[in-house]
Amino acid sequence: MSDVLLALLVTVPLLTAIFPLLFGLRYENAGWPIALAGSLVVTAMASSLAWEIFTAPTEAGQRLVHEMAGYPAPYGIELVGDGLSALIALLIGVVSVAVLIYGRSTGPQTNAFYSGLLLLMGGLLGMTLTGDLFNLFVFLEIVGLVTYALVASDDSGMAAYGALKYLFLGTVGASLYLIGVGYLLVATGSLNMLDLQARIAELGYTDPLVQAAFGFILIGLMLKIAVFPLHTWQPDAYTYAPDTVSAYISALVSTTAAYALIRISFDVFTVDFFAANPLITDAVVLVASISIVVGSLLAAMQTEIKRVFAYSSVAQFGMIVVAIGLNSRTALLGAVIHLVGHGLMKATLFMGAGILSSAYGATTISDYAGLAKRSPITSGGLAVTGLALVGIPPSIGILGKWYIALGAVESGSWSVAIVIFISTLLTLTYVARIIETLYFNAPPEASHEEAAASESVDHVAAADSPVADGGHTNRVATERIVVVAVLAVSTVALFASVDLFTELLDPVFGRFFQ
Amino acid sequence: MSDDPTGQPDERFDGRVDTDGVARQRPVYTESQVIMTTVKAVIPFVMTYGLFITFHGADTPGGGFQGGAIIASVVLMIAFAFGIESTRAWLANSTVVGLGTAGVFLFGAIGFGPILLGENFLEYTAYYPVFGDLLGLKEYEFVKYGMEVVEIVGIAFIVSGILMGLFFALAAGDSHSEPSEADLREGDLRDGADSATLGGESDD
Amino acid sequence: MIDFASLLTTDLVGLATTRHAYLLFVLLSTIGLYMLIANQNLVKKVIGVNMFQTGIFLFFITSAYRVGGRAPIVEGAGPYVSPLPQVIVLTAIVVGISLTAVGLALSIRLYNEYGTLRADALREVIGDE
Repeated sequence: MSDVLLALLVTVPLLTAIFPLLFGLRYENAGWPIALAGSLVVTAMASSLAWEIFTAPTEAGQRLVHEMAGYPAPYGIELVGDGLSALIALLIGVVSVAVLIYGRSTGPQTNAFYSGLLLLMGGLLGMTLTGDLFNLFVFLEIVGLVTYALVASDDSGMAAYGALKYLFLGTVGASLYLIGVGYLLVATGSLNMLDLQARIAELGYTDPLVQAAFGFILIGLMLKIAVFPLHTWQPDAYTYAPDTVSAYISALVSTTAAYALIRISFDVFTVDFFAANPLITDAVVLVASISIVVGSLLAAMQTEIKRVFAYSSVAQFGMIVVAIGLNSRTALLGAVIHLVGHGLMKATLFMGAGILSSAYGATTISDYAGLAKRSPITSGGLAVTGLALVGIPPSIGILGKWYIALGAVESGSWSVAIVIFISTLLTLTYVARIIETLYFNAPPEASHEEAAASESVDHVAAADSPVADGGHTNRVATERIVVVAVLAVSTVALFASVDLFTELLDPVFGRFFQ
Repeated sequence: MSDDPTGQPDERFDGRVDTDGVARQRPVYTESQVIMTTVKAVIPFVMTYGLFITFHGADTPGGGFQGGAIIASVVLMIAFAFGIESTRAWLANSTVVGLGTAGVFLFGAIGFGPILLGENFLEYTAYYPVFGDLLGLKEYEFVKYGMEVVEIVGIAFIVSGILMGLFFALAAGDSHSEPSEADLREGDLRDGADSATLGGESDD
Repeated sequence: MIDFASLLTTDLVGLATTRHAYLLFVLLSTIGLYMLIANQNLVKKVIGVNMFQTGIFLFFITSAYRVGGRAPIVEGAGPYVSPLPQVIVLTAIVVGISLTAVGLALSIRLYNEYGTLRADALREVIGDE
């Protein structure tokens, strides 16, 4: 039963994706219930998988392997589930459910859209659970393709522009990754991750072919993760996409690419590879540190809310890539916690921004003036999550950053710790600006009469669809506000879960750092 | 992209004017006797060739993807010879969507069968205890025929359905432009084009 | 350190005569990448992406070749060309086709929306919005 879960997790969303299109021939609104049912099933399976791995008594039980078509390891494709992949699979499931509940009444609601969302979920789960390098490429491209189509699903032409830019850059990234896989295939003749670990060790870590392969894989995945200077697709894609899609892809797509980089760096090219090639680790740490600073600086300079959050992602993922380059167990724990935490926080922030945008048409920071009085719950959620992003305890944001900084200090890179501190200050700048505008700035004069006439958005009872009244305040469905509030609370509550994370990830890190 | 000096919309643009008053170039269908006759003569052979390549993928170069692409090209040739609008009227949208989804569904069904029988995903030899005597095949032959079935009814269907659907979606152009009279009369064809606006996704 | 003198005289000639396929891979990929970056027409950028990917396919197929090898269908004796990279290239070709389709669909939409296929004009127009 246990390893069949891996196969089911990947194939159920992919097969469910045909049903919105099929039923769409007959019924009009068949997409949403099917997508929600699919994501609930996926979340249930992912939590069952995580629980099974968490409570597994033996070493073998902590790493589940499903051989596709029954072919054993070096010849066939394996699906592998251990603590790390189960954690990311759980994140994918939870964020999918949250975004689907949020997206019931907003954003594109065509059947093709829900089909695409399910395909994206299947592709992400495939990337998370695979144990084969070329299978990772196929799922990486599936994720990329569906993301380009989803980003373009808005009505505006700018969405198509953002999607096309993302397409060009993302394809180059995936192709560079494929070149790296090709070099590894030529060097060793195998594509299975664990098998490659042994064969690369025989080949020697200073072999130029192996180093070149790592270089290509690193650059390709860094393009997908969007660290500076390969991040230029991210602000346009996140800003112009519909809000539901921004929330989903910002939480999950770069996260899964970063997970793939962690998996390949530590499972295929082990810690010994990094020890033998100090130039590579230095380069990674340098580029990632620059990304942290530049991302936060650029975020602080933006006026449009979604762009602020997009550039902030560049900085946060810079921190995660720095932790990969630091080669330390504590830093890697921080990186994984930050992966999960950032996914939840970014999804909440984009969803909150979407609520304010569809209710008041507020897209820039100055549009947010005084909105806290009219939407207390949403503003509260945004404020709490923003502070969590900065890293004010207790929140999951501080956990991730703390462990990364601790790991940096332990390995002697004080500069990285200083860079993280600087980035925290810069993040505080723009988050504080948003909170100040929300709570302490007076709303513009012209809206006083209308503010008196229309009710506050959060007191609308059981409003199901946005109704434009005079174009000033639109009603927002309550479930959207509930989702934002629940996720915001969870980013704070997860502060207490350090021990769960450590216990789940210990066997994995034990294998990485032996 | 210019108007006649007399103010009439340019003849080349079918008299169609966009919502902002500009006449943009639309693909114009010109009836060509050469193309029509050639296509009418060649189509059966191309279709047979596509099926041949699909069925013989195990022993010679070929297989589901190549065969599916050739089968889709049959519909594309018909569209070029006889006009895209009339081909879309002939090949109902439900056929195209049905082909694609039936392919995925059958692939999933054949892949899931072994899981229900206790083995791994896509492990064709799991069918041997159940169907071995019925079909008279040995255990290892299930692998060969299983793969062929997946290629023929799974991948060829999916590829041909998606390529046909993509062609019509691309040729329909911007789904937000003013629908012409012909499209409005055809009713749910416009719905079909809209619901297929996502680009091709391959789930190999 | 690399001995540049001998590399230039002997090894480069040897490289060009025996491993020309790899040189062609580099050439195709670079030309495709240059087309993607430098050309302003969106359709030509898509063609550039295709060319870049074609170079990569060439690399995979070349890596599969064995001198004196036959097609990988088990009928007689003899060394077989490796079938694994061929399957990899088939899958990657499918992926490339889907990417081209999505890219062209988006270009059509941008053309209908903005009336231009030039990337620099689009950057100006959208940057102003």
